[in-house]
Amino acid sequence: MAELLRQALRTFAALLTAFGLTLLVILLAHQDPRAALSALATGAFGSPYALAETLTKAVPLLLTGLGVAIAFRARLWNIGGEGQFLVGALAASALGTSVLKSLPAFILIPVMLLAGTVAGALWAGLAAWMRTARGVPEVISTIMLNFIAAQLLSYLLHGPMQEPTHAQPASEALPPAATLPILWAGTTLHGGVLIALLLVGVVAVFLFRTRAGFALSVVGANPEAARVAGMDVTRTRLTTMLWSGGLCGLAGGIELSGVVGSLYENYSPGYGFAAVAVALLGRLNPWGVLASALFFGALNAGSGSMERSAGVSANLSYVLQAILLLVLLASQRVRWTPRRNVVGEST
Amino acid sequence: MPGLSLRGISKQYGHTQALDGVDFDLVPGEIHALLGENGAGKSTLMNILCGRIQPSAGQIFLGDQPVQFTTPQDAKRAAIGMVHQHFLLVPMFTVAENLALASQTRQPPLQEAAEMAKRLGWNIPFTTRVADLPVGTQQRVEILKALLGNAKILLFDEPTAVLAPPEVEELFTVLRVLRNDGRSLVFVSHKLNEVMALCDRVTILRRGRNVGTVAVSETNAEELAHRMVGDAVESAALESMRSVGPDKSLTPLLSVAHLSTVGGPDAVALRDVTFTVQAGETLGFAGVDGNGQAELAAVLIGLRAKSAGSIVLRGQDISRLSPRDLERLGMAYIPPDRHTEGLALTLSIADNLTLEAANLPRFRRGPGGIFLDRAGLRAFAAQLAADFDIRANDLAQPARSLSGGNQQKIVIARALWRKPDLLVAVSPTRGLDIAATRYVHARLRQRQAEGGATVLISTELEEVIALSIRIAVLYEGKIVGIVPPETPRETLGLMMGGQAQRGGQAQGNSHG
Repeated sequence: MAELLRQALRTFAALLTAFGLTLLVILLAHQDPRAALSALATGAFGSPYALAETLTKAVPLLLTGLGVAIAFRARLWNIGGEGQFLVGALAASALGTSVLKSLPAFILIPVMLLAGTVAGALWAGLAAWMRTARGVPEVISTIMLNFIAAQLLSYLLHGPMQEPTHAQPASEALPPAATLPILWAGTTLHGGVLIALLLVGVVAVFLFRTRAGFALSVVGANPEAARVAGMDVTRTRLTTMLWSGGLCGLAGGIELSGVVGSLYENYSPGYGFAAVAVALLGRLNPWGVLASALFFGALNAGSGSMERSAGVSANLSYVLQAILLLVLLASQRVRWTPRRNVVGEST
Repeated sequence: MPGLSLRGISKQYGHTQALDGVDFDLVPGEIHALLGENGAGKSTLMNILCGRIQPSAGQIFLGDQPVQFTTPQDAKRAAIGMVHQHFLLVPMFTVAENLALASQTRQPPLQEAAEMAKRLGWNIPFTTRVADLPVGTQQRVEILKALLGNAKILLFDEPTAVLAPPEVEELFTVLRVLRNDGRSLVFVSHKLNEVMALCDRVTILRRGRNVGTVAVSETNAEELAHRMVGDAVESAALESMRSVGPDKSLTPLLSVAHLSTVGGPDAVALRDVTFTVQAGETLGFAGVDGNGQAELAAVLIGLRAKSAGSIVLRGQDISRLSPRDLERLGMAYIPPDRHTEGLALTLSIADNLTLEAANLPRFRRGPGGIFLDRAGLRAFAAQLAADFDIRANDLAQPARSLSGGNQQKIVIARALWRKPDLLVAVSPTRGLDIAATRYVHARLRQRQAEGGATVLISTELEEVIALSIRIAVLYEGKIVGIVPPETPRETLGLMMGGQAQRGGQAQGNSHG
């Protein structure tokens, strides 16, 4: 419990520091920080619509954040959430606009989301396979796969998957049956939020109550000890990356079906990257990730209103995100490479 | 040349008092032993002397002059050189390049080094990469490095830990030469016999305090052991208790025949290794580190492939089975380094105690046993902690919060609670103090008395002699001979240096 409290305090301190630095940026830009903050708060929590917007914006962050968190727990540095998100959306879009589109919603939507999940998992699986079979560091390969996914998206939107009129580099809009239902009339809140919340619980049970989750944390803490204890390290790494990519791919599918409706270039405003900050702020714990996704969701929802009524650029929320990530990394000293155990035993 | 004195040196880490008002004097021309158990503060004191850490209180004097070492460079300028236990050499650099690095010059101080090597009777290949040198030679390079700039005070941190007995003798000769040249030497050790054989005076540290400085000629090993450990414990920490012998009526529990493996840059090839182990027997493997011990252990527990030969456990060839399968067949393993292979330090003590137990059917729940009975596992861990005397306030704490001895007890508990038929124990007491070592040895003997077979692989010859019924000596991946533990140390030392036993003894015992 003491450990948990210490972690919470440290996280809070990191948040305060990041906020302080961001306010400094606002001041340097000769803007009024008080007005900016109040506009931010109104935009995030000021009305039912704003609350729904916060939740909606939190969904992709939550799912990608969960995906990144389980990979990081196994000390697999999946920085490829962005690419997995994109291919997930691509797969969902391809199926949602295919011959299947005449299917009823209760079949079509699950099929689309499943396709997105599988596509994301396979995209991450490529990196996992290269890591386990050839020793390619997944930090590098997942980043590279992000670029490939972005170019793939661009190519498909200018070619095979372009909308029928060929007027814009965008995909065909999803039919109504492929669109996630709105939960709260008059707002943007869609059914995907329920899926995301459910998955928080599923991931928590997986990590803390299953044998596979136990193996995952042991492999993350010390792969050699895991091997000696009879655990299959390679298989654990592979399946962890598949889970991780699957969650990011699902996020892509849900965002498409619940919010955007059709693909275009720059379809993701960097969810896969923000996911790293979400996961770290949540201390890689599923419940923590839920809290931090809501926080970032509020930030994203509020930044629009901040721009409109306080004249502070909405991009400031990305500045805060980036500063927060750096502060968090500095505060918790994440080990990016397996630590060499050169502990001097002698005294 | 002035002597070195420490007055009231203290060092505090958080709530831990690593050193508490230590006084220490070093006079020119002496070898001064610093003796103490693990955690007594020996390393902390050495690191303060060589400028790597600063004391929280106290003063260092060179002669009458108070001095302050804020960096290792300061200590070097004061003519203090340190020979680290884990050599601070760049493996990919040649000897000359390492010396240049140490002297902070572009040109390696080859002439100085060559003269020094000559004085010490060494032949150092200056143009060879350090990685290609045997450990003993690497240590000589480390010593030369410490001597650069004409160091007058030399600190040796457990220099014998990596050496074979004949090499230890050579090292001692060199240390005596250095002393007779007028230098003063600090010799850190927890081996009483070495201190008695080599040193002039000895300072004993216990829990961060100096509990006495005496002339070696006025003390004996028993008294030193007593002071080191504190309360009255008999000094014969490693006396042998071979009351229970192997059951010769049975066929061997484990028989390994003509076992070979492929070597590589980081691995010694095993060559035609043949031995048997009976139930109720401990077969000890002695040898200098790096002669195939790690490879032998890895093959036995299923982490390394063989290239030829067979490993038969109770009539079944097990040479292709995984660690998990071997575990089911009644095998257990104590890895040589609890930090790299034994424990997941960031996970809780309870998690670490249950790494294998989590696979047991009784702790599995739900379809296909995918869920874990966390409460049951916690209770199980608590039971193990009680049975194996693991002292922890809270089993939910990370394993790294435990002392080395208690960490090792986790490893021992995991290996022994199942009462394995065959235990492969590699350096089971590495880095442990006397009390913890004695505990581990008692547990290993108990398992042997219950009828368990043990393959003990250790670079501590004393440990192998104390625990084994027979001793096999490994040299360059081969078994030089299998001999009884009464074999004279000199003979064992020669065997560890690769000289095969003449006569029938070595062969005669190899078939149990």
